[in-house]
Amino acid sequence: MTSRPFSRRQFTAGLASLPALGLLSPGSVRAAGSVVAASFPNAWEDAYRKIVAPLVQAQGTELVVAPALAQDQLAKLLANPSKPPFDALLMSPGQTAEAASRGLIEKIDPSRLKNWGKLAAAARTEYGPNVTVEINGIAYNPSLVPKPAGYKDLFENRAYDGKVAWIGFGSNTATMAWVEIAKLYGGSEDDMAPVFKLLASHLPKIGAIANNGSQQMTMFQQGEIAVFMASTGNVARLKSLGVPCEFVHPASGSPSVPVTIHLAKGAANPQGVYQYMDAAISADAQAKLALPPTEMIPTNADVPLPPGIKAFVSDEQMKTLVYPDWAKINAKRAAWTAEFDRVVRK
Amino acid sequence: MNRTGLPFLLPMLVLSLAGFLVPLALLGVFSLVDTSGAPTLDNYRRLFADPFILSVLVDTLGLGAKVVALTTLIALPIVLLYWHAGPRMRRVIVFLTLLPMLTSNVVRTFAWIVILGRLGPISQAMVELGFFPAPRSLLFNETALVVVLAQIELPLLVLPVIAVMTRSDGSLAAAAATLGAGPWRVLSTILLPMMAPGILAGWVLVFAGATTSYVTQSVIGGARLIYLPQFVYREVGVLFQWPSAAAAAFVLLAATSVVMLAMTAASRHPRLAGHA
Repeated sequence: MTSRPFSRRQFTAGLASLPALGLLSPGSVRAAGSVVAASFPNAWEDAYRKIVAPLVQAQGTELVVAPALAQDQLAKLLANPSKPPFDALLMSPGQTAEAASRGLIEKIDPSRLKNWGKLAAAARTEYGPNVTVEINGIAYNPSLVPKPAGYKDLFENRAYDGKVAWIGFGSNTATMAWVEIAKLYGGSEDDMAPVFKLLASHLPKIGAIANNGSQQMTMFQQGEIAVFMASTGNVARLKSLGVPCEFVHPASGSPSVPVTIHLAKGAANPQGVYQYMDAAISADAQAKLALPPTEMIPTNADVPLPPGIKAFVSDEQMKTLVYPDWAKINAKRAAWTAEFDRVVRK
Repeated sequence: MNRTGLPFLLPMLVLSLAGFLVPLALLGVFSLVDTSGAPTLDNYRRLFADPFILSVLVDTLGLGAKVVALTTLIALPIVLLYWHAGPRMRRVIVFLTLLPMLTSNVVRTFAWIVILGRLGPISQAMVELGFFPAPRSLLFNETALVVVLAQIELPLLVLPVIAVMTRSDGSLAAAAATLGAGPWRVLSTILLPMMAPGILAGWVLVFAGATTSYVTQSVIGGARLIYLPQFVYREVGVLFQWPSAAAAAFVLLAATSVVMLAMTAASRHPRLAGHA
């Protein structure tokens, strides 16, 4: 066999060409004129890619939707605060407070958003516009279990034994439910002791403890569980897939949480982030996002509530929404997360 | 090493250095400082002082050992079948062994959710046969996790053993049988020693895969079975405790490395390496 000579110069030239191809520089995969926006996985990610991205593209900016849970976004930002992996973030107050206190997000200039004035007053925050309000409650499969009256029912009615899934304090939805359950059993936003006592005694009757909300939805689809703590969006998504699923407002009130787009500090393309924010709060985008399968409650005052959302939440129920005190919760969340693992571990 | 081969190795060496050793070194530094950046050994002290974390470590290593044991029980008959099969059957066995590896670990794990689920075929069959009074989920327990991991890691044991066996002298087993050795004696004195280097190499791969398989552990085991990968993820992703997570990651690395080094050393032993 003859071998073709391969000079050191040729090899060095080949190696030197790698950065030009973008192989040795991760930052260069981000195209000029693009915005990397974190979005929650599954329903949010799909909807933002299909509905919001084309509106941003129309302004000459490519929107790259990167799926990540709010807590994961925070963790990735903390890992590399000087060069954030996302230009724009999607968070709820629990993570927003953390991100703001650690200097990871910037206050925005509302004058750069054409649709800012269309937002409901409560949806205008100094760290960005709220794009929706997630209303949380209990999702159940009506073909497997009766309609739950509230959280207490899930622990005290034998019809739910082995049918309910729970998750720990890494999830906002779960954390809000645990806070409400703590209040029902004599605790509060900063006293979770009754919850851990209840959990310990109830463990043999729990259907499953999942690692995250997506896992719960998979289990629900497969008939593994019949009840889980969910947002109206989760239920809308499951219904759109043909899964028998209904939403219940707990008797104690439905914990609710706004979802906000933030500008990451050190974002590569702040102008693009403003274009993205403006597109996400535009009447055009919000009217589409308010329809199935996402059925997100619009924050743009020009968008009327479609019948699908009205079926989830009546005007009366809107008055009983519960907004948790995230400052109190964040102060103890890490300790609760660690304690939860110790209580539930087999 | 041949000097002319070095330029071809350089890209891989650069990639390993930049993509593995440098981040690993950074992780090592993280594990030796506190949240303010001051040097400390407290992250390790806290890990070893907490019985919960120690039990998580023990369970993680135990999981690896159980998966290795079950995988071996399943793999050896497959290898023996390969040993006795003709060329066409051998191709079928290798193809069927490789087939699961053509799909991602995530897909294989989710397929097991369907199989082991409350409404899955096993639960339904048990109900039909009268073993279960009602459909029951077989997920979220360690037995299910060991079975799933054994299926996922099986090729990593079967393939090295087959590779070793194809290089072995097949006439030895025939000679032993001619001299009057029964099938069990041929297995224990000829075939198993021939397979030993492949088995040990496979054990290293299976053990490493099983102890670090975050996706399968979390999806099949649920949140009530906590192993070190989930613990590390929780420390980073939920609690943002990088120093503590880095220390836990290093403990996992050290613990699995010790076991793997022991297996590798054993595989080099003259008797087990087939040179006795």
